[in-house]
Amino acid sequence: MLLPEHDFIKPRSLAEGLAVLRDAPPGVRLLGGGTDVVFNMRCRLMTPDTVLSLRDIPELQGVDVLPDGSLRLGAATRLTDLVADPVLRERYPALVKAFRAVASRHVRNMATLGGNLCLDTRCWFTNQTKEWRDAKGPCLKTGKDVCHAIQGSPICVALNNADSPPALIAVDATVTLASHRGERTLPLRDFYREDGIRHTVLEPDEVLTEVTIPPTRDRLVFLKETARQGMDFSYGTIAIRADGNGARATRLHIVLGSLTTAPRDLSTAGERLVALGLGDDGIDAACATIRDALGPLTNLYSPAAYKRELARTLLRKAIVELREMPA
Amino acid sequence: MKKGFITLTVNGDAHEVAVSSRHTLLDVLRGKLQLMGTKEGCTTGSCGVCTVNNARGEAVLSCLTPALEWDGQAVTTIEGLEKNGQLAPIQQAFIDYHAVQCGFCTPGVIMSAQAVLNLTPTPGEDDINDGLAGVICRCTGHIKVKEAIRHAGDYVAGRKA
Repeated sequence: MLLPEHDFIKPRSLAEGLAVLRDAPPGVRLLGGGTDVVFNMRCRLMTPDTVLSLRDIPELQGVDVLPDGSLRLGAATRLTDLVADPVLRERYPALVKAFRAVASRHVRNMATLGGNLCLDTRCWFTNQTKEWRDAKGPCLKTGKDVCHAIQGSPICVALNNADSPPALIAVDATVTLASHRGERTLPLRDFYREDGIRHTVLEPDEVLTEVTIPPTRDRLVFLKETARQGMDFSYGTIAIRADGNGARATRLHIVLGSLTTAPRDLSTAGERLVALGLGDDGIDAACATIRDALGPLTNLYSPAAYKRELARTLLRKAIVELREMPA
Repeated sequence: MKKGFITLTVNGDAHEVAVSSRHTLLDVLRGKLQLMGTKEGCTTGSCGVCTVNNARGEAVLSCLTPALEWDGQAVTTIEGLEKNGQLAPIQQAFIDYHAVQCGFCTPGVIMSAQAVLNLTPTPGEDDINDGLAGVICRCTGHIKVKEAIRHAGDYVAGRKA
């Protein structure tokens, strides 16, 4: 099936791109590697009037070490290039693991960092061809006021399946959003919204230009659970960052991904682990906070009880890995 | 633009092709240039049978690449591996190690394998698994495919060295 017809624009500079967005009518879609957007266009989940390709904008490329030791990752840098980056590999092996967890090498050879951060939310109803969806009619995400995945749901509960956000949130990464009006920088955790339709705070005239990672010597662990070993969307991911070594830590940042519409911070679990240490007692106490921290869950892709159990399992495995890391 | 001409170098030959924003690189290869080796499978990035190599020799999915995006780029398809009537080492290895059954996915699998070899001439188990994770063969079960890739280094210009 051919793609829906659109106006294709490929700016050669950020200023040129932002000018297009200033004047563009609604219905403009930003294109990174295309592995999510072109897929969604094929399924007619996205039928943009205008597609703005960000691949040839030099300002959005590359990894730089800033004078204060922070790392700046250009949003249009391919995941393959991040996985291969010597500085990232040396300083953040767990971040590299998260980038490498995304899909297959084929996809990572095309997909960009910004594209993974903006990855559209998914549910088993919308993630189908148009013909399949048409048999049932539109849902909240595709233009009506009913949810076919969770009957009676007043909001779209599609999940955020991106693998890199939990790991980047755990290291307190910030994102920079640029528009013709200027630039704003915000913590990546504030970039996401609990809404399957408008799941980020990115405005229609804005472009995600870069991700900044502040320097840290903390430990970082990332785990992903999937049905298949090769290439798959995750059932659940976890990223944990901790200072100290062995079973001692005074600061823990725990982020769960893929179980909810926005990545979820487990701050109470972190406090328990700081108080009790990373031993088995601490882990049990942290796992006991999962039910409250996750709150009501949907049965999307797996039953809520399974998701809670998966969250506890991921937490347990990640803490064990963390405390066994060589100092 | 909604329609336009793109310049595309395929297997070393430069082409000027009229495309619209509705076309992908796959549509150009098969529909415009009649290079039918590259196959159309799921067209959503899951199966990998449309795999071609970019100018850096990396595996990319032609079904998810808008044609207008690839203006000025170079690409290698399965038709470009054979040189002067001699199969590439990986092609001969696929034959000798029986890494083909129905053959539909074979161009995509070979271009994925070639991308692995472009990166590491003597790939290990992890390199091969990583390079093949994005391409699916329902017949062979990948065991013989992996054997062929492991032995591709034994071949020089299509013959066992």
